[in-house]
Amino acid sequence: MTHSLHRLGTEENLRHDFCIYTRAAKGINREHCGDGLRKTLKIYISEDVVNYGSSHSGKSFMAGLDPEEYAKTLDNSYGVIATFADREAVAGVLKKAKEEQIGISTVVSGLIDEVVDIAHECGLHPHTATLSLGIYGKTELLPKREILEMTTMCGHSLIAAGLVKSVIEKIKAGKITVEEGARIIAKPCTCGIFNTRRGCALMKKMLEEKCAGCSDD
Amino acid sequence: MRIDAEKCIGCGRCVPYCPVNAISLSGHKTVIEEDECVDCGVCKRVDECPRGAIFMPAECFEYPRAIRMQFSDPGVQHPNLKSWGRGTEEAKTNDVTGKFKRGEYGMFIEFGRPGTGTRIREIEKITVAMRKLGLPILKDNPLFGLLKEDLSGEFKPEFVNEKVLSAILEVRFNDSELEDIVGKIFPLFDTLETVVSVGLVSRFDENDKLPVIDRLKKLGLSVRPNAKINVGLGRPLVDE
Repeated sequence: MTHSLHRLGTEENLRHDFCIYTRAAKGINREHCGDGLRKTLKIYISEDVVNYGSSHSGKSFMAGLDPEEYAKTLDNSYGVIATFADREAVAGVLKKAKEEQIGISTVVSGLIDEVVDIAHECGLHPHTATLSLGIYGKTELLPKREILEMTTMCGHSLIAAGLVKSVIEKIKAGKITVEEGARIIAKPCTCGIFNTRRGCALMKKMLEEKCAGCSDD
Repeated sequence: MRIDAEKCIGCGRCVPYCPVNAISLSGHKTVIEEDECVDCGVCKRVDECPRGAIFMPAECFEYPRAIRMQFSDPGVQHPNLKSWGRGTEEAKTNDVTGKFKRGEYGMFIEFGRPGTGTRIREIEKITVAMRKLGLPILKDNPLFGLLKEDLSGEFKPEFVNEKVLSAILEVRFNDSELEDIVGKIFPLFDTLETVVSVGLVSRFDENDKLPVIDRLKKLGLSVRPNAKINVGLGRPLVDE
């Protein structure tokens, strides 16, 4: 899975959007990695985490995943993932993971320059990057860019464009708040990489600009 | 997925959740167009149906249809690799596996992303073309098991019309082949009836830089400002 790679956005609105994925490697450090993953989860939660989750548990923190129950399942897993909205939290996670010498591969998604800077700040050398080269093919099938900035926050494409439009309509009609809307949209993304804070900011901007066409295609 | 018509009250609460728009209201009932449905399970998992009318019928677990849920629901494992999600390792553990060394690249072509879904026949257009160009198709990938054994790049006929939310094709090549591969593969995307999101794996150089970005830009490709970066915390570290 290329997961958090193809999050669409501007440099400005991606500046407060990071995902950290800690994943054990098959045949190298995956066996008995449960304790390392539990330590990692504890570190994630100790910082200002926005969301986290698990596809095999079938729900995210935003959808009610209980961290203690989730921690118990990590003997049957090989990775944990969480979402953050500021660089201080990301630096906090990396520093603690380094100090504790957990030794499990860790990937940070975010603006390239920002992530490299954070790695240096933590005394780390970035090892490998996966770059996003954009979308090709029959792109006329896609919804408007503002909607894609929301839906691409689920790396498995489980957030429907129709759901975002429906939530925006409910907010416009005064039936729900922006924050409630972001939680509804986060629900299908079981990995917990839908950044509800960024989602709120994006929807507020759409509503301010009246997002012509956000709900009519 | 299917909706039990006896239980359904036609409230339509499940409709907006479908990532591929396969759910609609028909008269006083909500229905799922089963050939368009990718069996991702979102409509059931979000638990919005007040009558519990949405279910996965037994035939969804039978081949060839079973590949829909394997490629669409990240909570279902790919049986050949015992992995969740889209089943690819790419650079997530490269600091300990050394799968991609300096001077090597990996290209990840994700069909159907974002949000359109894809028939397997669309992927076949590219796999057949890749084989004609002499490019290998990596084995450590869930798509490999669906291919015909003659290595023509064609998929087994029973899978060709199946629809999945997305699937990733991987290509690995050397530094000297970058321009040639981009020039040969990217024009093929114009033949697709779906979309692809493309990613490229590269090692950082000794100065923590990514010189490949300038080369990609010279080829006319847009490189997004955000990326996934393995920060080298895995042990034992492979850093040749």
